[in-house]
Amino acid sequence: MSAAIERRGGAPSSSHARKVQPRPGARRARRREATFGFLMIGLAVIFVAVFTLAPILASLGLSFMSWDVFTPPKWVGLQNYTRLFSDGQVLASFGVTITLAVAIVVLQISLGMLLAVLANNRRRNATRVFFRTAFYLPLLASTAAVSIFMGYIFDTKFGLINYYLGELGLSGVHWLNNPFSAKVTIVLVVVWQQVGFTFVLFVAALMSVPVDVQEAAAIDGAGPWRTLFQIKIPLISPTILFATVIAMINAMQLFDQPFIMTKGGPGTATTTATISLYQAGFQNLQFGFASAIAILLLVIIGIITGLQFLAARKLVFYQ
Amino acid sequence: MVNSFQAPIDRRTLFKAGGAGLALAGIASLAACASTGGGGGTNTSGTVTMLYFGEQSAATTLQKAIEPKIKKLDKNASFQVTAINGTDWNDFLAKVLTQIAAGNAPDIVSVATEGQQLLASKDLLVPLDSYVTKNLSSLNTYFTGVHPALVESTMYQGHLYTLPDSFNAGSMFYSTSIFEKAGISAPKDNWTMDDFHSSASSIAKLGGNTNAFDWVVRLWGSWTSFLYANDGNLLEEGKYSGGDWLWKSDAFKNNTVGVDGRKGGWKWGQPTANSDAAVEALEYMIDLQKSGYSPSPDVGGGATLQGLFASGRIGMAIGGGFWAGGLHNAGMKDGSFDVAPFPTWKSNKSLFGAGGYGIFNSSKRKDLAFEVVKLMVQPSTFDTLWPGNVTTPGQKPLMTDARYSSTGPAHWSVFYDQLNGSVPISAPPYYNALATSLNQRTTQAISSGNAKQALDGMQADFEQAAKQSS
Repeated sequence: MSAAIERRGGAPSSSHARKVQPRPGARRARRREATFGFLMIGLAVIFVAVFTLAPILASLGLSFMSWDVFTPPKWVGLQNYTRLFSDGQVLASFGVTITLAVAIVVLQISLGMLLAVLANNRRRNATRVFFRTAFYLPLLASTAAVSIFMGYIFDTKFGLINYYLGELGLSGVHWLNNPFSAKVTIVLVVVWQQVGFTFVLFVAALMSVPVDVQEAAAIDGAGPWRTLFQIKIPLISPTILFATVIAMINAMQLFDQPFIMTKGGPGTATTTATISLYQAGFQNLQFGFASAIAILLLVIIGIITGLQFLAARKLVFYQ
Repeated sequence: MVNSFQAPIDRRTLFKAGGAGLALAGIASLAACASTGGGGGTNTSGTVTMLYFGEQSAATTLQKAIEPKIKKLDKNASFQVTAINGTDWNDFLAKVLTQIAAGNAPDIVSVATEGQQLLASKDLLVPLDSYVTKNLSSLNTYFTGVHPALVESTMYQGHLYTLPDSFNAGSMFYSTSIFEKAGISAPKDNWTMDDFHSSASSIAKLGGNTNAFDWVVRLWGSWTSFLYANDGNLLEEGKYSGGDWLWKSDAFKNNTVGVDGRKGGWKWGQPTANSDAAVEALEYMIDLQKSGYSPSPDVGGGATLQGLFASGRIGMAIGGGFWAGGLHNAGMKDGSFDVAPFPTWKSNKSLFGAGGYGIFNSSKRKDLAFEVVKLMVQPSTFDTLWPGNVTTPGQKPLMTDARYSSTGPAHWSVFYDQLNGSVPISAPPYYNALATSLNQRTTQAISSGNAKQALDGMQADFEQAAKQSS
C-alpha cells in the first residue's frame, strides 16, 4: 500500500496512481475465501436442492402422468392440464385463494406497520419489549392447534364469541356457516397469528432509520405524520417489499386454517387451491392431477412475486 | 494492507467442528431409522401389525389384551396396534392409503363400511373366502350370532373381505327430560315423520338454548337417514351375484335370522343424488333450520353433537349404539335419554355401517393374521376390544339387558332390531370423492337454502367420480 503513495502529504490522485499489482498470495487468499464461502452455504444449497428443487421437478414430471400410487404411473401428456382448465371447482379454488391472500396481506402489512409504529413510540424500553413479545407470541403456536381452538371460539352453537354476543342481547353470527363470514373469519384468524412476523420486521426497520435524518426532518418543520409517511416509510420500503413478498407467498399456500375450521366450506366457499390439491391427491388418489394443480399454483405465485418486484422499481427506495 | 478481520476461531477448527457435527447428525438419523416403537415402523419377524381408527391409548389397550392370546398360538409372534386419528373415516382412509403408498402397509386393518369397497377394489385386501371355508368349525359361534346383513355388507363382488364384529344403525336418540318439559310422550316404535315433526315443534316452543333436533354432515346418520326413510339413496341399490359359497355353507345353519336374499355384496350403481326423494329429504332439513327447529350442522364425526346432547341442548339426534357409551361417558344419567327407531316416512328403510377387520394382500403373515382376526371377532373378545358400549356388538347374543344396564338406553333392543330391512351406507370404491362432495354440497345447500341446485352439483360430482373410478 505505501508504495502507491508518491506525493508527500497525501494520497495519490486516482488518475496518476500506478496500477497496484496484487501480492502473489492475494489471489490465492481470495480463492480460499470464496471456496470457504461456498462450503459454508453448500449444506444449505444441498438441502434446498434435495428437499425443494427435486420435489418440484418430480411434481412437474408427475403432472404429465396419471398415478394412483398402487399402479405404475402412466404418461398422459397435457391431459391433467386440460382437465384443470376445464374444472370449474378447481379454478374457483384459485379464485378463493387469491381473494383470501390479498385480504390477508393487506391487513397483515397495514396492521403490522401500525403496531410497529405504536410499539416503537413507547418511551420505556420495558413497554416496547412487552409489546414485541405479545404480538410475536401467536406466531410461535402451531397453526393446526390455533385453528382447532379458533374453530371452537367461532362455533355458531357453542362458541365463545356468540355466547358473549348473546349476553349483550345480540343474535349470534354464522361465523363459519355463511360463505362470506367464513372467509372473513379465516382472514381474521390468519392475520391474528401472522401479524407478529411483519410487526417484528417493521419494528427492526423503524429502529434502523438514522436518527439524524429524523432530527433533520424535525428541524425542517415536519410533524410526526409527515415524518412517518415521507421519511420513515420510504426509508424502510425494502423491508416492506420483503414482508409483502413473503406474506403473499405464505398466504397463497393457505391450507391449515380453512381445512381445519371449515373443511373448505360452506360448500366450496373457503376451498383454497391447496385444499383442492389435497383432495385430488390424498383423497381421490389422482396424484398426477394434484401435481398439475401444484405446478399451476407455483406459476401463479411466481407471476405475483414478479409483479411485486416490478412494482418495487417505482415504489422501493434503496439508500 | 493490514487485514483487520480476525476470526474468533480459525478456519481449520471450524471445519473440524462442522464435520464432527455432521457425523453425529448422520449417526443419530441412522439410529432413528431403526425404530422399534409403535407408529407402523419396521415389521420385525413375527410381529403382526394393525392399523386402528381412534386414539392410541385405545389401540394400546387392544394390543395388550390380544397379544397374550396370540402368543398362545405362536410364542414367537407379537402384536402391534397403531392408531390413526381423524375427524371421520375419509381422514383415516387417506392416511392408511398414504402409509401403504410409502411401503408401510400393516398386516391387519380395522375398516368400516366406508372404506371396505375402496380397499377391496384396489386389491389391497385378501379375500377371506378360503380362510373362512377352512375354518368353519372354529367360526361356528361367530356365524351363529352375527347378523347376516353385516356379513353381506362386507362382501364385494361375491368375496368376503372382512369379518365384521360391530355396527351402528341410525336410530333416533331423544332426551327424556326435554320431552317431559315439552309435555310430549316418548316416540312409539312405529312413529312417523309427522310424529317427529310434531315433537320437534313442541320442543322448539321451549325456546332458549334448546334445539329440537341437531345433526352433522357426514355419510352416516345425517340427512341421509331421512333420504333412506324417504325410500331414496345417493346411489342405485343393487347386489353382486355370488356369495353362495358362504350362504349355502354350514356357516349360518344355526343363525336365527336366516340368509334368504343374501348375495355377493352391495353393488352401488348410478348416482341418484338429485332424485325427487333426495331433494325432498334435503329440503326438509333446510326447512327444519329455517323454522328454528334445528341449527346449522357441523361437518364431522359428531363428537360435539354428543356433547351438546349431554348438556341438554338438543331434544333429538340421530345416533347409533355408540351413543350409549358416549352419552354415559359425557355424564348423562341412565334414564335421561332413550332411543327409538328412525321414524317411518315413505318406507321404514334405515341405514347402518359395519366395522370389521381385513388382512392386507401385502402381509407376509396372512395365516397368523387370520388367526388374530378370528380371535378379535369372537364374542368373548368384544368387551375387551370395545369396553363401555362405545359401539354395537354384531353378535346378537351379546345384546342383553345386563350390557345396557350400566349406560342405558332402556330401549336398547332398537339397535339390533333396526338391522332388519336396513341398507348399508352407500360407500362405493370412490367413497372419498363421494364423501367430499356430500360434505361440500350439503353445506352449500344449507347456506344457500337451495337443495335442488346443490344436489344437481352433487349428482355431477358423483358421476365424474364414478367415471374416473371405473
